[in-house]
Amino acid sequence: MGRYILRRLISVIPTLIGVTLIIFLFQRLIPGDPAVAMLGEHATQENVERIREQFGLNRPAFLDREALADGDLTGFFDSQYIRYANRLLHFDLGNSIHRRIPVVETLSERFPATLELATLSLLISLLIGLPVGIASAARRNSALDGVTMVGSLIGVSMPIFWLGIMEIMLFSVFLNWLPSGGRLSTGIVITPITHLLLLDSLLTGNIPGFVDALKHIAMPAIALATIPTAIIARMTRSSMLDVLQEDYIRTATAKGLAERVVLFRHALKNAFLPVITIIGIQAGTLLAGAVLTETIFSWPGIGKWVYDSILGRDYPIVQGVTLLIAIIFLLVNLIVDISYAILDPRISYD
Amino acid sequence: MAEINPQDTEIVDFAIREHRSLWLDAWRRLIANKIAMLGLFVVALFILTASLSHFFWKYDPKSDLDYSSKLFAPNLVVTEDAPAVHIFGTDKLGRDIFRRVVHGGWNSLRVGLVSVSISLAIGGLMGLLAGFFESIDMNFWERVTLMGLLGLGLGSLSAWIAAQFFQIFLFSGLGIFSVVFQRWKAGKKVRILAFAVMGMLLGGVSGLLVGPLVGLVCGFLGLGVGMILARPLGGKLFSDVTMRIMDVILSFPSYLLAIAIVAFLGPGLEKGMIAIGVVGIPVYARLARSAVLSVSQKEYVLAAQAVGESHGRILFKHIVPNILSPIIVQSTMGLANAILSAAALGFLGLGAIPPEPEWGAMLGDSYKYLSSGAWWAVLFPGLAIMLSVLGFNLLGDGLRDALDPKMRI
Repeated sequence: MGRYILRRLISVIPTLIGVTLIIFLFQRLIPGDPAVAMLGEHATQENVERIREQFGLNRPAFLDREALADGDLTGFFDSQYIRYANRLLHFDLGNSIHRRIPVVETLSERFPATLELATLSLLISLLIGLPVGIASAARRNSALDGVTMVGSLIGVSMPIFWLGIMEIMLFSVFLNWLPSGGRLSTGIVITPITHLLLLDSLLTGNIPGFVDALKHIAMPAIALATIPTAIIARMTRSSMLDVLQEDYIRTATAKGLAERVVLFRHALKNAFLPVITIIGIQAGTLLAGAVLTETIFSWPGIGKWVYDSILGRDYPIVQGVTLLIAIIFLLVNLIVDISYAILDPRISYD
Repeated sequence: MAEINPQDTEIVDFAIREHRSLWLDAWRRLIANKIAMLGLFVVALFILTASLSHFFWKYDPKSDLDYSSKLFAPNLVVTEDAPAVHIFGTDKLGRDIFRRVVHGGWNSLRVGLVSVSISLAIGGLMGLLAGFFESIDMNFWERVTLMGLLGLGLGSLSAWIAAQFFQIFLFSGLGIFSVVFQRWKAGKKVRILAFAVMGMLLGGVSGLLVGPLVGLVCGFLGLGVGMILARPLGGKLFSDVTMRIMDVILSFPSYLLAIAIVAFLGPGLEKGMIAIGVVGIPVYARLARSAVLSVSQKEYVLAAQAVGESHGRILFKHIVPNILSPIIVQSTMGLANAILSAAALGFLGLGAIPPEPEWGAMLGDSYKYLSSGAWWAVLFPGLAIMLSVLGFNLLGDGLRDALDPKMRI
């Protein structure tokens, strides 16, 4: 087991290098000179040269063969990619082009908002998806099962940005019940502890703050939770159906155990493993789906930030956030794989 | 002893029974499924309206502008306030939303077909080859090709460093050499050592022509390349490398990767197609590989191998027809996904460029004047996205049940 975990950990390294390579190559997809992009159209030649020198943009992309031919071994490795990788190892994602402050700084300010939204959405989708999936597997081909199957297909087919717009239309524009965007109303202050507003307001006993934060997060969380809910319900159902055909379930039922015990103690435990994988994948989808949801609801997280940066051509931010989300996605899948190995003794890992 | 008369026996000739192919069986199962038929109907409606309107109902988005009729609510009869019928209403520029929704279908259809074709052509082929060579041993010429290409690829770094084009052919030759002299009488260690020395000489000596340090670095690289080429590599290597590349693409959440690619390529429907297509490649590669792996252990493939059929024939005559079902299902669902992703890109302003009628871009446009209460400007394009995506998903779901009753997800 220990060796399996170690091997799985090591296998992340090449993938991680591949991820940084792809993100590095993005930079080269941009038409035009990044130095000019940084300084604007009217920059002087001198300034452009200075910036190119400063950021190593005058260096070759990967390796410098001319330096090697001249007998310079350190110059050989002094390339844009190596510099980029080196900066990453020092948690330096570069500076924002427009605001000229480190990307990491803004990232740490904005990430809690996205984390809060994604976590709440995941909770919602688990709270709805799991019971619905279990119930429709237990009552296969019933009306409930039919509703679940069609409902989950509608959920998967839902353009969440449209759902978000329709929510705003109904609850903000016509009914005026919920605020259409933002994280908190002006004038409401929540003492930051974890920077997750719902949690912070509860910890400090700030009830008006909690209600206000909840009103703001409700619509985006529901929009973001739609697709994961549908997928989790579907996956739970099919996984449960597989397990319910097993002999030990028939034995348990024949012994006269209550249906509740058979379903939850015998079936769910075994059906849960594939569901865990799906939950892991959804965690990444939630973070990425946040780009759309946050844009619609003006949610001050990393998704909205990426969107604004794409429009403003602030590429270091786009690169930084893409990298962060890819790494989180990788880590979540790693944790899922390892927990799989721990939870399922049937699978042997050499 | 009773005599058996041929006339007395009941003739049961199975050949007389009505001939039905498996595909016909699947089709019958499909049309028996009401939900799948609903999906098929939606999909047919979508494809028909999109293509008929594109060819027979001319629409020029650039000249479509009428400020006198902006933001009219949907009306079905002509009244004094609304001089023309707009069953879906009009948008901020006075354009008839119904017309734009219908024409937007053509763009969605195009994106779906092109991007699924990209993912299927590249991913499917890679997965097919990966799965095939993982389970079936390569023959001599395939190994020559593989090792030649491997030498070409591995040698290219050394050749690039020394700026010597001919080096890659030297390494390629070394790869082919290792296949030809596969049965090396002296043991494994000697073989590796010999190839390492040969690689070092190939890289090092030609590198020395440029400079001493270049010779050193190329020598080291050649040493490594030689050691790799000395090993008895086969299909497993090809499969491993392909799948590892797929893992890298899969380590990005798909939406995000598409958004990032378009963000860097620049907006446009064509670039969106490429981005969505690239993102889908690993899905088909994995699917095709696992399908091939399960099929290639079947008796009929072993039998085909035993009678000495060529690999190309086994692949396309025995394996491809038997893995079509999951591929068809996945492609149908992939169309749904591609339409959804294209709409998301359009909504973010990264897909189709206005005034091109595209559902996502229409939504992104009308979203800006949401507070005016023009619900029709957001309801109908969104509904069009959802229904067409739902149609493909319903159809895909039905196809899965029809094509492979055992495989239910």
